[in-house]
Amino acid sequence: MKLEGTHQLEAARERVYQSLVNPEVLQRCIPGCERLERTGENTFAATIRTGVGSIKGVFEGKVQLENLREPEHFRIVVEGKGAPGFLKGSGDLDLAQEENTTKVTYSGDVQVGGTIASVGQRMIQGAAKMMATQFFTCLGAEAETEVGEPPPQHGFFRTALRWFSGWIKGLFKK
Amino acid sequence: MIPTQFDYKAPTTLEEAVALLASDLDGAKVLAGGHSLIPAMKLRLAQPQLLVDIARIKSLSYIREAGDQILIGATTTHYQLESSDLLKTICPLLPACAASIGDVQVRNKGTIGGSIAHSDPAGDWPAAILALDAELVLVGTSGERTVKAENFFVDLLTTDLQPGEILREIRITKPSGRFGQAYQKVPHPASGFAVVGVAVHLVLNDDGSCKSAGIGVTGVDVKAYRAKAVEAALAGSNLDDSAVTTAVTHVCDGIDPNSDLYASGDYRCHLAQVHTRRAIQAAKARVK
Repeated sequence: MKLEGTHQLEAARERVYQSLVNPEVLQRCIPGCERLERTGENTFAATIRTGVGSIKGVFEGKVQLENLREPEHFRIVVEGKGAPGFLKGSGDLDLAQEENTTKVTYSGDVQVGGTIASVGQRMIQGAAKMMATQFFTCLGAEAETEVGEPPPQHGFFRTALRWFSGWIKGLFKK
Repeated sequence: MIPTQFDYKAPTTLEEAVALLASDLDGAKVLAGGHSLIPAMKLRLAQPQLLVDIARIKSLSYIREAGDQILIGATTTHYQLESSDLLKTICPLLPACAASIGDVQVRNKGTIGGSIAHSDPAGDWPAAILALDAELVLVGTSGERTVKAENFFVDLLTTDLQPGEILREIRITKPSGRFGQAYQKVPHPASGFAVVGVAVHLVLNDDGSCKSAGIGVTGVDVKAYRAKAVEAALAGSNLDDSAVTTAVTHVCDGIDPNSDLYASGDYRCHLAQVHTRRAIQAAKARVK
């Protein structure tokens, strides 16, 4: 199955690239990722508990990043298996700066097998699209919030803002 | 083909069912007709800890009129809807849609609420209730709320139902005036699911022009949707062949169509256009 798409993120390209290869960010953004450990320079082991609707499963797998050309390109190779089936695939990600935003273009080929492929064939592409959107929405938020090192006054402002929003939330809880 | 172990509870009231669901928000799952959930459990794609069987709650199965509305209980079976004389008279789209689902065994057991709550991308009911601009009544521990059908379907197999909530009732405004309805479906030859399904509800002015159109499409996107661009193009038109043919070209506007081994996205959109046109023409021919 071919997977292709583009997502526009409101952040500088360097920032988006750093987020995309940062295992901590990835763990927070991959839907259902419970564990993502570095096992080599560019290899990771992952446990993902994910699903769509009532269809859920746990997958164990490994992720490898190749052809890293910061900040414009890398290739990701994944292999995973779990009770519902297995998947194996690779994809290229290209990052292009467009004014203040970054356009991420991905294109890949994934093979899905096992139970999920034999009975859920008609839904796999939809599920993949849904997860990609969740992932990039989260990544966008991560990349936006960590722009560079915030200058002190920015830090003060943000702290005040956090305090204020906490106070508002507190009001509504009562 | 044997599911993992699970607990089974068959409450007799809705309140009990809601409380049972709330007792295990992560692991509990509502069972109605079981035509999507049970196969998924047998394949171990779904492994709920607790099944709350609402099919035995008698007060959830009904079709009745109340003022200008038609009320349908969530566990009303496809067969009950298909064979309802009341619906055949006042809202024939519902029996027509029911008749196109699966086979008689499926229709005897499967429920309208189960189909809607599951939100299969190729389910038939979502298209019909979108065309009729239905409202859904959801109940949870914190009370009841009402959601428009077009806001209910969120994504693939994903609805606005929150953990612990049960779909209780489907409310449809009783069609009035000069109206016509039709459901057109291309069933998958093996599964019977809609490769493309189009539900149309047309209301005409006295001069025969289109007052409003409701069009629900299933099978094409990851969830059923209202083809609003087609509805807008039809409203006010005289519904002649050229107006309809032009309007249906918008059926895939803004949609990234599903693609699978059986039908590519482009083919699905082509089918959607052809069958939206046929459904509109059939609905128009049925206007009394």
